[in-house]
Amino acid sequence: MKPLAGIRVLDFGLLTAGANTSAMLGDLGAEVVKIESGAYMDPFRAVGQRDTSPGWWNRSPPFHFTNRNKRGVALNLKHAEGRRLILELAKGCDVVVENFRRGVLERFGLDYAALKAANPRIVLASISSQGDTGPNRLHASYGSTLDATGGMAALTGYADDGLPRISGMDVNYPDQVVSLLAAGLVIAAVMNARRTGRGTLLDISQREIASFMIGEEIVAAAADPARRTPSRQGNAQDGVALQRCLRCADGRWLAITLQDEKDEVAWATVIDDVSIDQWAASQDAEAAARVLNDAGIAAAVVKNGMDLIRDRALAGDTLAWLPDGGLVKGMPYRFAGMPLVIERRAPDLGEHTGETLRELLGLDDQALARLAELGVTSAEPERI
Amino acid sequence: MTRPLDGTTILEIDGPNTPLCIRLATSMAAKIAADLGARVLKLEPPGGDEVRAAPPLLPADGSSALFQFLNTSKRAIALPADRRSALDALLGGRIDAALYEEGDSDAAALLAARNIARVEIAGWPESMPRPHAPLSGFTVLALGGLLDMVGDAEREPLRLGGHQGSYPGGLAAFTALMAQLAAKGVPPARVSLVEALLWVNWKAASGAHADGKAPTRDGARSEFQVVPCADGHVALVYGVTQFDAVAALVGDARLNDPRFATRPERRRLIGDIYAVMRPWCATRTRAEIYAAAQGRGIPFGTVVTPFELLGDPQMIDRGFIVDMAGLKMPRLPVLWNGSGFAPSPLLEERAP
Repeated sequence: MKPLAGIRVLDFGLLTAGANTSAMLGDLGAEVVKIESGAYMDPFRAVGQRDTSPGWWNRSPPFHFTNRNKRGVALNLKHAEGRRLILELAKGCDVVVENFRRGVLERFGLDYAALKAANPRIVLASISSQGDTGPNRLHASYGSTLDATGGMAALTGYADDGLPRISGMDVNYPDQVVSLLAAGLVIAAVMNARRTGRGTLLDISQREIASFMIGEEIVAAAADPARRTPSRQGNAQDGVALQRCLRCADGRWLAITLQDEKDEVAWATVIDDVSIDQWAASQDAEAAARVLNDAGIAAAVVKNGMDLIRDRALAGDTLAWLPDGGLVKGMPYRFAGMPLVIERRAPDLGEHTGETLRELLGLDDQALARLAELGVTSAEPERI
Repeated sequence: MTRPLDGTTILEIDGPNTPLCIRLATSMAAKIAADLGARVLKLEPPGGDEVRAAPPLLPADGSSALFQFLNTSKRAIALPADRRSALDALLGGRIDAALYEEGDSDAAALLAARNIARVEIAGWPESMPRPHAPLSGFTVLALGGLLDMVGDAEREPLRLGGHQGSYPGGLAAFTALMAQLAAKGVPPARVSLVEALLWVNWKAASGAHADGKAPTRDGARSEFQVVPCADGHVALVYGVTQFDAVAALVGDARLNDPRFATRPERRRLIGDIYAVMRPWCATRTRAEIYAAAQGRGIPFGTVVTPFELLGDPQMIDRGFIVDMAGLKMPRLPVLWNGSGFAPSPLLEERAP
């Protein structure tokens, strides 16, 4: 059975860190209700804007990638009636996921204390740049900010130019790894709530996660004065005999790792007596990788985004192709006999407001008409 | 404080011939569970876990900082030469779930026979034609497409620091493990390092699919760049709607040039923009730049070293780095109802 069957998630998640945590819970069987409004939609709808004709906010590829298998409800939190309905919905939910700027939930009267008063079993996953407390709690960041402030950039760079490097806007690495951990923490808190009847506030700092990803370097730098100023060594790595990329005859890069002396001996046998670079320059990259793998050496062609969408064997379960040729995010793992099924494409803004409020709160046509009249459920973007 | 996984027993079954990059993921997943309160038995192969000797090594006793970080709050048991029998005996006890590694046929067979909830940690996607070819953390980054995204366009692709070929797989394995515990009858899970990286690097696939062209590393042509300042480096990172705010921050009239009015033009002329930003940064300290930018809601970041994190006011206020028997150790990156989980040193136990 699906591990999170019967669990309902109220999703205020934005961009990747929040929205993807909810998506991962949905992949494991939870029902996810995404709350946006015309007054404040997920910024991914605008970041991935493709055109300017009406409804453009429903066509953003990164938004579609991340928000499949969710229902979309428009409720304006700036409206008292919108806030009241959120608390009503929270009574029937197990989890709330949010990654607003700090202070936004409090301002709307929807912080953990308010949610807990409505539902003592609720798990609130609060994902933020710096955490919910501390002198820098209001500071802003994007993923690439956290590459720098979390310590990873100081360890990333070519050996010769002295310049630290970040993962950049097309990766924003710290944003991506957040949901891999946050989803598991939410499940642990849901199990805890089942057992104890009490919910949890999960205060998850993205910057702490970025630093956790280089945890051993923090341990080493604290204990060893020689490691206080890190040196950037390109692709080389402590304890590894040789590690670098080689340019091959077809122009592609080949990544190789010679772990130890045994690998170096195997390598010498393969390349005979030419130099590393000469050998690579005489080979196509895929063929070279095969030859080296057969000799027991870790070697792989440096893949790019086009390779990822062309090579379905490589992509495994991490991408999901839709019948209309669309492409959305898959899962980072595989459960035997439980493939990811995309039952819903990402919702248009407010697409399921009526059906969801009817089903979960028992609202009738008259009540829905009144909400629409008050503007509580408006799904027209007010600004971008 | 009671911990959420108190009362849960999990096996970390370290295989006898597992590549280092897979072991780092297995140990990371089990470490998180252990710090959350699970009783984690780390079953090391005869000869011990190879990570015990992996750098960085600590000057005091030559032990591995990497091993210490990845094995907090666990109990280690070195299995005897007759590993299969010892494993079989251990699996007869009350075990809630197990992590095991690709290639460990003994563990795979014994866990399946007893139908124990389990997560397998592997290297390659099962769907690959050569799923057992040699792999390193570095080649995982290459296959996941992440290597292609970092560095300068004309130079060799660049790895991220640390063990980023392994740790995303470790986090994914932790979440798969929690899914195993969440309900009875959840089918066994498999995590491959390559798939975890591909999943992390989804924007490369999304961009390629939407544009017919893959986003790639573009170093000095990127909108976000790291530049030198008076006492180090800063990462100039800002939102697509924040260019006017950045121009106001820098206060140089050249940034108000109508040539920079639209984002596509700014991308094309990024060198001209950085020609203005660099000198501004060069005369200011990291702290000055960070404070001025954050004051305007602009998410510039200062490049800090792992050592500097130890004295960082935010990290100190939240108790992120704790003292574990004389070692400074980051705690799990979560506060649970306001409290952190203090890791404890690995306990060495005798084989049963």
